[in-house]
Amino acid sequence: MTTVSQSVSDTHESPRIVAAHAVNLVKSYGSGDAEVRALKGINLEFEKGKFTAVMGPSGSGKSTLMHCMAGLDVPTSGQTFIGELEVGNLNDASLTQLRRDRIGFIFQSFNLVPTLTAGENITLPVDLAGGKVDKQWFDFLVGELGIADRLSHRPSEMSGGQQQRTACARALIRRPELIFADEPTGNLDSNSSSEMLAFLRRSVTEYHQSIVMVTHDARGAAYADRVVFLADGELVGELISPSADAVLERMKQLGN
Amino acid sequence: MWRITIKGLLAHKLRLALTGLAIVLGVTFVTGTFVLTDTLHNTFTGLFNKVYQNIDLEIRGTAAFSNPSGGTAIRKPFSESLLSRVRAVPGVTIADGGVGGYAQYVAKNGKAITTGGAPTIGATFEPDRQLSSLKLVEGTGPQNASQVVMDQGTARKYGFHVGDRVEILLPGAPQTFTISGIVRFGTANNLAGATIAAFQLATAQRLFGKVGQLDTIDIIVASGANRSTVGRSVAAMLPRGVEVVTGQTVANEDSSSINQALGFFSTGLLVFAFISLFVGAFTIFNTFSIIVGQRTRELALLRIIGASERQIFRSVLLEAFLLGLAASIVGLGLGVLTAMGLDALLKAFGIALPQGPLVFAPRTVVVALIVGVGVTVISAISPARRAVRIPPIAALASYLRASAESPRRRFVIGVAIGALGVLALVVGVGKPAIQLVGLGAVAIFIGVGMLAPLVARPISGVLGRPLAAIFGASGKLGRRNSMRSPRRTAQTASALMVGLALVSTFTVFGASISQSATSGIKDAVIADYIITASSAGAPQSGFSAAAAAAVARVPGVTTVSSINGGMFEFRRSVLNLTAISPQDVSRTVILRMDSGAGASALSNGDLLIDTTTANSKHLQVGERIRVTFAETGPTTVRIGGIFKSNAVLGSYVVGDNFFRSHFAANTLPVAILLRASRGSSAGTTAAIRAGLESYPNLKIQTRAQFIETQQAQVNQLLGLIYALLALAILIALIGIVNTLMLSVFERTREIGLLRAVGMRRRQVRAMIRSEAVILSVFGAVIGIVVGTGLGVALADSLKQQGITDISVPYASLAIFLVVAALLGLAAATWPARRAAQLNVLDAIAVE
Ligand SMILES: Nc1ncnc2c1ncn2[C@@H]1O[C@H](COP(=O)(O)OP(=O)(O)OP(=O)(O)O)[C@@H](O)[C@H]1O
Ligand SMILES: [Mg+2]
Repeated sequence: MTTVSQSVSDTHESPRIVAAHAVNLVKSYGSGDAEVRALKGINLEFEKGKFTAVMGPSGSGKSTLMHCMAGLDVPTSGQTFIGELEVGNLNDASLTQLRRDRIGFIFQSFNLVPTLTAGENITLPVDLAGGKVDKQWFDFLVGELGIADRLSHRPSEMSGGQQQRTACARALIRRPELIFADEPTGNLDSNSSSEMLAFLRRSVTEYHQSIVMVTHDARGAAYADRVVFLADGELVGELISPSADAVLERMKQLGN
Repeated sequence: MWRITIKGLLAHKLRLALTGLAIVLGVTFVTGTFVLTDTLHNTFTGLFNKVYQNIDLEIRGTAAFSNPSGGTAIRKPFSESLLSRVRAVPGVTIADGGVGGYAQYVAKNGKAITTGGAPTIGATFEPDRQLSSLKLVEGTGPQNASQVVMDQGTARKYGFHVGDRVEILLPGAPQTFTISGIVRFGTANNLAGATIAAFQLATAQRLFGKVGQLDTIDIIVASGANRSTVGRSVAAMLPRGVEVVTGQTVANEDSSSINQALGFFSTGLLVFAFISLFVGAFTIFNTFSIIVGQRTRELALLRIIGASERQIFRSVLLEAFLLGLAASIVGLGLGVLTAMGLDALLKAFGIALPQGPLVFAPRTVVVALIVGVGVTVISAISPARRAVRIPPIAALASYLRASAESPRRRFVIGVAIGALGVLALVVGVGKPAIQLVGLGAVAIFIGVGMLAPLVARPISGVLGRPLAAIFGASGKLGRRNSMRSPRRTAQTASALMVGLALVSTFTVFGASISQSATSGIKDAVIADYIITASSAGAPQSGFSAAAAAAVARVPGVTTVSSINGGMFEFRRSVLNLTAISPQDVSRTVILRMDSGAGASALSNGDLLIDTTTANSKHLQVGERIRVTFAETGPTTVRIGGIFKSNAVLGSYVVGDNFFRSHFAANTLPVAILLRASRGSSAGTTAAIRAGLESYPNLKIQTRAQFIETQQAQVNQLLGLIYALLALAILIALIGIVNTLMLSVFERTREIGLLRAVGMRRRQVRAMIRSEAVILSVFGAVIGIVVGTGLGVALADSLKQQGITDISVPYASLAIFLVVAALLGLAAATWPARRAAQLNVLDAIAVE
């Protein structure tokens, strides 16, 4: 394992710590004629303390990649690691613990438990673990995200943007090693989405949070330190410190 | 729309299967009851027709009044001299006389053979084989005074054979006989568990105190003769008080008296079957409400596409109709199987029932289908109307819920229905009209069911608090889930509410009866010992009058007072009369007079009545009333005194002498009251037992034991009622399982999300379980409160009937609450497992 990660990092100049990586990751759905190869042998790593965006046409395997990396889905072959821990070897209880303690999630929609208030939704991972909420961190997060006055509201009483920011706070509350966000701004207008992306950016820059975000939005990708491009289940390139225009350009090429 | 209905049914197979189960069980109960009682009815009717088929005519004493409890009427014997004159009537070929009375076998182990309610018949073995209803299967008829023939059922069960000696308890002292033969009653081993001991006529007359008398003369008419002509000529020569009827009439009377008892049995079972269906109705109503809620978008889309309100309404009702039909058909099948099983079970318990084919009457099918389909469709009407109210726009809006009706309206309607129910209940109990009581209870339950959603949120919030404290985040989520849809919570809990309300009603009612009986007996008897027949309550029960003389010889026994019982007619109703010897009254019972005289009035041959009767019938001391006795006919009797209600004496009391002058000399005592010089001590008890050794059918109890027995009887009855209500509780639990399953399906995404952010499987299960416990405890709390109220009201309204004390057994009610919580936990097992096994990815991928 170490050799693999070393060999991967050897190809880059600066020494880096890897938050998660995939080795020859293959994922197929169905079998025989109906087989869909969603991921066709991906080798990829996500750096610690960095904001990585994943882009690609619809159906290119972005969500599948994320699910496999996070231990939500089981790869057909290959390995995935969170830190040094191989996800494929874990049973359900350990996977649950992994998700609870080391990973944060933000989905495109339906992020919140409807019966719980915003505040309760944020502290849910802590409650589930039976731990104590870091009150300062909590206050800081809700302040930064501008939801301090919404804490006692139910999801149904909040706007989509507020809901997504609440989900954001929940993902961050335990300061996980890595946050996976699948189109977190997909349902938001450009204002809300800029606010949220700016927050994610800050959490990486200022608190060294590691984030992997799937997005369709070139301007969103521009907030990231690095963009990786997927097409048809394969890794087809990357951009470091991307600009929105560069990303758009690359996406156009992929579209062809 | 038809296609959509079918698709809908298939799409919700599982949830509908669970819902259907509620109906299946109810219909099974109804069908089983019908098939079993129809079968018994048919076999008994057939049996009696067969037994009497050869008898053309029967001569017997006329009945002054019919026996209200459905037993055979009390008839006076007539002179034996009639027999020879009847034989001389032209057209009569064979005529045999017979007498009957009390005869109880003693088993080889010295214990009296009890029948569990069936009579212990002593009869005459009529020599003519064609005439007799007893068919010899082994041995011969009794050849002399020391021989008896025994029924095959008793012989088989207790291992008696021809030639064996057997002790028999009789109105006089017990005697030992030799078994000369074994008989069947028609085609049956015996008569539904009744034992038969048949003697020669002269022996029977002597044993039953009817020397020179006959109870019946059975006649076979010559083959050429016209039966009615012969009947008329026989009738012409009969003295007053004697009548002649056809064998068919006797058969009809006998079977109708058994069938009347069967009718009570069947009605009793049906009441509980309908309770189960009623609880099932709540479950169906709830399921359809949830399904309609879950299909809001789909239904709205249909409206957009152009489905009319009527089409939507019909499609929901059609779904209910098909579900009800399928469930009823399954229930019918299971009901028949249950009836067969019960039949076998009764036989296994030694209740020898005559053999007969299973009767599956068209009525059974019709009622089962109407009830099963009807309950389902009616329960679905309100959800169907809710489906109609879904606006087409609901297909587009993201967070729209079916518009909630105003809580005010619900409150007003709920209170109105509940109040009507209380009114019906009060009037029904007062009348008393049992249907009105039932209707009232139904209305109360519906009213409470309507009001329950209004309190569901706060109550489940309170109930969930401890769970949240115990289970942490999962408990908290479970609590919130139970609060999120108060209507669903309340509807699910309502079924259990009804079940537990009934359980609590009976518990409070039973405890009050038990308590009243205890204090009633304490206030009624001061005798040290109470001796009764061990099969008390059975027709023709009682024991040898000679026992009183035997116990009087026991050293230490100072007072022996025999209590006799009989029936008489007053103002067209048949009432129970108690007789006691006036000089023993003060030493054995507590007779508190309101007015008039006590013991002295009894000595004068006056009637004593209790206060309740005096008030309700407007009777006063000194009044002379017209009464009718079975043996002596109409007469008048003076009311000598009015006493405070006494639990042991009953409402009408006369002295020994008066009783003897109006009832047959061989009437059996129903109890003996004793006083002993040293009270009830172990030594005295042993001495009494020794003195009564030859009467093994006697139950000798101290006053304290007697009280315990009364309580035990109430508890036994309660146990039976609990068992019958268990099905209703089971159906309520199925309702909880169903709702939880539906909720789990509905919350697939939410559960997936929880799992994604780190909820363990165990925590998922704890969450569902917490919700189930809150649901069931909520239902139980309301049910217990309502039931306790009903029980207290019911007991209170029967104050006049002797329920003087109202007792609320808090411990039992607390146990019900705990049991309900545990049952809720059990109901959550499957849904919780289902939820925990949801694949996280599938759950979050659902769109
Ligand atoms: N459960 C499944 N069964 C079969 N095929 C699947 C399943 N999930 C995904 N796929 C297929 O795998 C491929 C990758 O899907 P994935 O959801 O990862 O795409 P994506 O890049 O996230 O697309 P989008 O941008 O639309 O979200 C697609 O072709 C999809 O049809
Ligand atoms: Mg995707």
